[in-house]
Amino acid sequence: MAQARTATHRGEGAQARIGGGARVRGRIHGDGDLLVEGQVEGDVAIRGELTVAEGATLTSKAVEAQTVTIAGAFEGDVAATGPVRVVGGARVRGNLRGSTVSIDDGARYSGRLECEFELPAELGGSARESRGRAAARR
Amino acid sequence: MASTVIGAGITVEGEITTDEDVVVSGTVRGKLSAKEAVTIEHGATVEADVTGGSLVVAGSLTGNVVANERVDLQQGARVIGNVKAARVTIADGAQFKGNVDMDV
Repeated sequence: MAQARTATHRGEGAQARIGGGARVRGRIHGDGDLLVEGQVEGDVAIRGELTVAEGATLTSKAVEAQTVTIAGAFEGDVAATGPVRVVGGARVRGNLRGSTVSIDDGARYSGRLECEFELPAELGGSARESRGRAAARR
Repeated sequence: MASTVIGAGITVEGEITTDEDVVVSGTVRGKLSAKEAVTIEHGATVEADVTGGSLVVAGSLTGNVVANERVDLQQGARVIGNVKAARVTIADGAQFKGNVDMDV
């Protein structure tokens, strides 16, 4: 939780938080970071960091953000320009795309990972932006 | 810091329901209902029916309001809609168009 708090202090826009007792049904978009501690059903498109805290639930078709950290329950597809991190204890179902994607020990995940990395030449990589795909199942 | 905060750059289109308090500095369209205090800050835009324990408005609000305790329209507030609460204050410099129902 402390980690989630500090995460909301970056970015230019003001921060937003959906508290533990709150439920949002609808679309959330704009500039700034978003911390979800409650329940959100709907698409999220923000220029900032998205954090789904432990105990929180986010269900959406599409999530766009700069960086995404999930410690709670998430269902949907993530498209991040920066890193995506699934923390231990999280439950995630959906596709994750980011500059890097990490899944910590103890996280439950089902879906497809998509991140860009450079393949070594011996694996036929053109050494430029190759697109790698890996499928992961719990 | 309030439990739920809609920051200045953020827009929520839909329904927000909470048993706690809410501070809006950004934009909310749809419906907003809280059990505790709702604060609509200067610069915020709310186009929604609002229910809450109490309501303080310093920003722009279009919609009907029902509060269990009180509604305070502060200087700079711009409110279009009906207000229902046992106690209502409208500060000098607040703009208001609508009906007030204090349940008398």
